[in-house]
Amino acid sequence: MRKCIDVHTHSCLSPCASDDMIPAVIAIEALDKGIDILALTDHNSTRNLPAFSQACEIAGITPIFGIETTTIEEIHLLSLFKTLEEAMDFGTWIESLLPPLKNNSRLFGHELVVDVEGEVLEELDLFLYGPADISYDELVLKSLNLGALAIPAHIDRHANSVISNLGFLPPLPYSAVESIAYPPTVDTGPYTVIQSSDAHYAEHIGRRRFFIETEKEGFDALKEALELNAVTMLQS
Amino acid sequence: MTKLTAVLEKLGYTQLTSKEISHTFSGAYTSDLLSDVMGNAEEGSLLITIQAHKNSVAVASLIGMPAIILCNGRTPNDDMIEAADQENIAILSTTDSQFVSSYKIAQLLGLM
Repeated sequence: MRKCIDVHTHSCLSPCASDDMIPAVIAIEALDKGIDILALTDHNSTRNLPAFSQACEIAGITPIFGIETTTIEEIHLLSLFKTLEEAMDFGTWIESLLPPLKNNSRLFGHELVVDVEGEVLEELDLFLYGPADISYDELVLKSLNLGALAIPAHIDRHANSVISNLGFLPPLPYSAVESIAYPPTVDTGPYTVIQSSDAHYAEHIGRRRFFIETEKEGFDALKEALELNAVTMLQS
Repeated sequence: MTKLTAVLEKLGYTQLTSKEISHTFSGAYTSDLLSDVMGNAEEGSLLITIQAHKNSVAVASLIGMPAIILCNGRTPNDDMIEAADQENIAILSTTDSQFVSSYKIAQLLGLM
């Protein structure tokens, strides 16, 4: 069976994302766009994943529990977990590595923790822009050791990508690499290439996505397809 | 204090923002890691960098830096210029590297 996948989205917890991006809106919009497997990957925090989990269940979409961490080199890395619990533990750990700065919502935007109905539970004071006090290599390996998928984000972007910030793609056992353009405009080495939306606004959900053919479900289907490089995309 | 107009006139840098430049500056900080800028740059300093995106403006605004110099001819996104105009931060562009730009700005500041 063919599955449509978007593993890079931001909710209203990410300062740079729209305040309208409550997890329920993300799940419904994804359903509307025909997405079967969806990950929420806020910057350096997982606090909206519980609401995301409930919203996906209601929408009938398979959730993947993610985070987009900023490393000390200011590189963005996606870590994707099978279970909510694993992701929440990881998120708590990442938050503990962030510099103890307060968010300035006027300059960077609000950081809203919400429930499935979109009620604001908390406006986070901790500045989620990062960086977490951990190196890129260390975080890739740590994520993989925990059973997560480790995917360097938007590797062809001119800021906050592994190639823009290091100048090359270190040879690590990534689960895949995310490219904005397809075919990619940078050297992606031997790795499986995926596209995802990096949506900060509802209308952007699914603007980039990828497809797998699988008989399995959810995280395991995704993991296997990435390992086999059995991924298809639309030319952009 | 040194006038920012001197950077345009004496160094031939190009202004990318639309507001009139009346800023002055008292120093400069050269870095491409915004977290480093946030931790170490001083108010009133120019930011010399290649980070041509909106977050540089947010960091400069947070610290009170009057202007950003984009090196190596980096071209910013439109939303960076918009944000800078809103925050009254000037953005200047040059083909100089960060090293050469830092040297020239240090001369303007009378540091060498």
